[in-house]
Amino acid sequence: MNRTRWIFVIIVSVSLLIVGASLLWRSVRSGPAEELTIQRPDTITVRVLTALPVEPWVRAAADQFNGSAPELDGVPLRVEIAGMDGLSALGRWDRNDFGALPAGSDRENLSPEQEATLDRFPTAWIPDSRYLVELANASYKARLGRDVFLTDGQYRARPIAISLFTWGIYQSRAAVLEERFDRISWRTIHDAAVARGGWPELGGDPSWGYFKLVVPNPRKNAGGLAAMIAAAGEYHGSTDIGVEDVTDATFRSWLGELMGAVTDVSSASAYTAEDFALFGYSVGDGGQLLESDLLQNMQGILTRWEDPLVLYYPDYVTWFDFPFTVWMGPETSALEKNAALAFQEHLLSEEQQRRALAYGLRPANPQVSVDAAGESLFVQWADQGVEPVVPRADAMRSPSRDVLLALLRWFELNVVE
Amino acid sequence: MEETIRRSGKSDSESSGSWWRRRSPRSGSCVLAAFVFSAVLCLAGTLLVVIVAGRLLSGLTERWGDDASTPWLADSATLTVAVSPAMRETFDGLIAEFNGLEKDTPDGNTMRVQTVTLTPQEMVDQSVGTPPFQALAPDSSLWLDQLERRWAALQDVHQATDEEIVIPLGNRRVNRVVRYATSPIVIAAWEDVARDLGWPAEPVGWREIQAKATEDPSFRWSHPSTSHASGLLATLAEFYAGANLTRGLTEEIATSEETLAYVQAVESTVRFYGEGEDVILERLAAEGKGFLDAFVVQEQLVLRWNRMRPDEHLVALYPTEGTLWADHPLALLALGGGDEPAVTGNQELVFSALAEFLASVEVQDHLLAAGYRPTNLDIALDREGSPFSQTDAVDWRQPKTTLQMPSASVVDVVQHVWWYIKRPTNVYLVVDTSGSMGGDKLRLTKTALHAFVGQIRGDRDQVGLIEFGGEIKSLKPLQPLDDAHRLSLVHHIDTMEANGQTALLDAVWHGYDSLQRRADTEAINALVVMTDGQENASRVRVEQLLSRLKQDTAVDVVVFTIAFGRGADENLLRRIAEAGRGQFRRADETDIEQLYRVISTYF
Repeated sequence: MNRTRWIFVIIVSVSLLIVGASLLWRSVRSGPAEELTIQRPDTITVRVLTALPVEPWVRAAADQFNGSAPELDGVPLRVEIAGMDGLSALGRWDRNDFGALPAGSDRENLSPEQEATLDRFPTAWIPDSRYLVELANASYKARLGRDVFLTDGQYRARPIAISLFTWGIYQSRAAVLEERFDRISWRTIHDAAVARGGWPELGGDPSWGYFKLVVPNPRKNAGGLAAMIAAAGEYHGSTDIGVEDVTDATFRSWLGELMGAVTDVSSASAYTAEDFALFGYSVGDGGQLLESDLLQNMQGILTRWEDPLVLYYPDYVTWFDFPFTVWMGPETSALEKNAALAFQEHLLSEEQQRRALAYGLRPANPQVSVDAAGESLFVQWADQGVEPVVPRADAMRSPSRDVLLALLRWFELNVVE
Repeated sequence: MEETIRRSGKSDSESSGSWWRRRSPRSGSCVLAAFVFSAVLCLAGTLLVVIVAGRLLSGLTERWGDDASTPWLADSATLTVAVSPAMRETFDGLIAEFNGLEKDTPDGNTMRVQTVTLTPQEMVDQSVGTPPFQALAPDSSLWLDQLERRWAALQDVHQATDEEIVIPLGNRRVNRVVRYATSPIVIAAWEDVARDLGWPAEPVGWREIQAKATEDPSFRWSHPSTSHASGLLATLAEFYAGANLTRGLTEEIATSEETLAYVQAVESTVRFYGEGEDVILERLAAEGKGFLDAFVVQEQLVLRWNRMRPDEHLVALYPTEGTLWADHPLALLALGGGDEPAVTGNQELVFSALAEFLASVEVQDHLLAAGYRPTNLDIALDREGSPFSQTDAVDWRQPKTTLQMPSASVVDVVQHVWWYIKRPTNVYLVVDTSGSMGGDKLRLTKTALHAFVGQIRGDRDQVGLIEFGGEIKSLKPLQPLDDAHRLSLVHHIDTMEANGQTALLDAVWHGYDSLQRRADTEAINALVVMTDGQENASRVRVEQLLSRLKQDTAVDVVVFTIAFGRGADENLLRRIAEAGRGQFRRADETDIEQLYRVISTYF
């Protein structure tokens, strides 16, 4: 073989050697790494869908939790918070917008594309109230034939904080209403709302215009429907409101007059109490809102408008208990579910429960009282009508899906449109 | 080696230059080794290039997602925000500061924010399609509501088969909203005008302004079109006043004869409408108190003007019947349905970082200094150094009440009906089609004129066209812009050709003369004059035209002039606009269409 052929053979051989070595190296490198990813992830991410009233507190708690470099079985874990109104989240669960797998799916047999769609699937959900969990679970149970949120056992829904709906009214306006009506209730607020002469007729300043009611927009804030259900409770004198109560013609007429005093439902954000503070008495003289939302904005209202709010507790009380609920489907791994429980424990710790007081939330941990911290808003605003112990009242029972739908339809047709 | 050469048929002379023929056997081995080494290096290099290129391509495919038409990378950390014109200057300053922080996302990308300027209505229109932005910052949340309603209507069409038991919530076009500033909408008036209206002793409302406008022909007031929050509010206030209500406005009441007659009477007193508040400020600076007596703007503009010109004091009147708020939301869109590109995780992080930045005490202090009310409620408006604490032109305890925002359908009716009862317009489009307008210029001008004609919606508005070169080439007289005239006008525009010299002055003279002779004082009368060159063919002299524009004012004719490109005589056009109490604008190929659209909002 002459030199040229030798050179040719050498070049071809070296090329084949390089290509072969490269392929071998890639296959050796990728094989075991994939197996390792499945068995032990680099990080566990807990995605918590969180109701808006507790979002600031939960987010701060998550920052502190993440800052402590938590681990589970030696794997670092990280909590991500996404704020979402409870009713909106229920709508998204109903439509399966988060992408839960169909019944009978096996997580291990998913294609990489299907796997990727689960990247943002919520590990846990903190809605405003337990009834939202029950409705979402019922929806999935009908579809999948099994529970996705549990009511007992280790992974059961557990309240992390409590709040209730109270009247918050500007002090200057409240004084006039008390003078005129003696006590604040849905009936007296209705009477103020329908006063044809506005505030002058009620004994107030003419520049205040008409009485303006603040009610959260039910399309953006679960508190909106809660307020309407509480109004129905007082109207009918019952804590258990059914479809026949909210479809009653006289009640609807009465509710329509009441909602006629809302200045702007359309552009109101989900953070109604914050709107109340930002725009002051110009958009609302008072309304029934979540106690924690009102307490968080008391100082801002005083700073911005010089006229503080006064709180009144209604006879028919709606409670929100913010249950921490772990998703039980195959969309999240066992490690992620257990990591969610670790964060739940963190939220229920005495330290975090005391911190909740600074957000106007009542602790779910019975070891912590509402005056357990110096920064407790219950202590700070005691002179403005805030009660550490809620006066004797009737608690509204959870509404059914049919009641929610009936009220939402009425609202769309009579207020929005 | 020699043998090899021979066998290969090459002659000595051919191979005499061969570098290895002259080498010794030892040096031949070295050469061979070097050759093999070079060949291996080449091959390795080639392989490396192939592998790297493959990886890059593969990486790009992953980052761009499945759809090659995706307008941003799958890990993009650049957030594009649509900003309303009134807030553009302030917002761009803040964005520059934010970008200067050079924050990083967890995956190492640098966070960037860029802006596009759109009117709130344009933001809504684009957001229901496939917008080139991921976030929007209109002047008021009412546009977000309009966006959601339009989005919901589209979804209803697509999801008609949904079961009725599904909670119909959560399917929104807007994912997150934060507010970074607020400002109530007020009636701004010069201090002497405000005192004349009763301020500060007496409360002043929409009724007082409307009564003054209808009783006093010399009273000049204006509000933006209903494409802006302040314009929509002013119009709503007129409907409320016409219906003698401050809440409970229904479609039936809004469209009753009495209400419409009242609104029409009030609107007939508006000098002209406009594209927004920032332009009002420009015009005030150019024309001073003679521009308008009162106008509807955000409170912030009053403070801004008074800081610029402390000698000419504006006062904010908070209407007793109620007002609305410009609440400056920053909203992140929920993109990613169907084939449209989704907002990336990094873009969401940029949004959060931007929201946090805007809520910071430093930025909120900056916004307070600029005259906005900060959304950080810890900041007292009356603190030392605050623009609210040093003046009686604004009152931070106001407004005491807001007008009730009617239902969405009533707002739609008000916006729609306004086009048919607003002050009508007689406008001549005076268009240069001289030789220099050939090519792209003429093509773009035709597109711009089409856009202008498309924007004018009121059937009582009359539009004419004067086409000029070395002389007036063609004239389409003023006619109500009904479907037939619209078609005829569009056809005429399409047939225009570029040739001849530039008889600009003659064309303006002719248009002005026509409007004066028409003597329609009920309408807004205007000329929109566009040229790209120098006057060189008119019989009318400059001073003659300017003198007439200033003195022959039996009918108030407003003259807008547009310098298209660098060759236009800007000085002359500016003088014509000043004499004609209008505005001078520059345009080039990139924005001529937008400019015509903007000018159309004045009518």
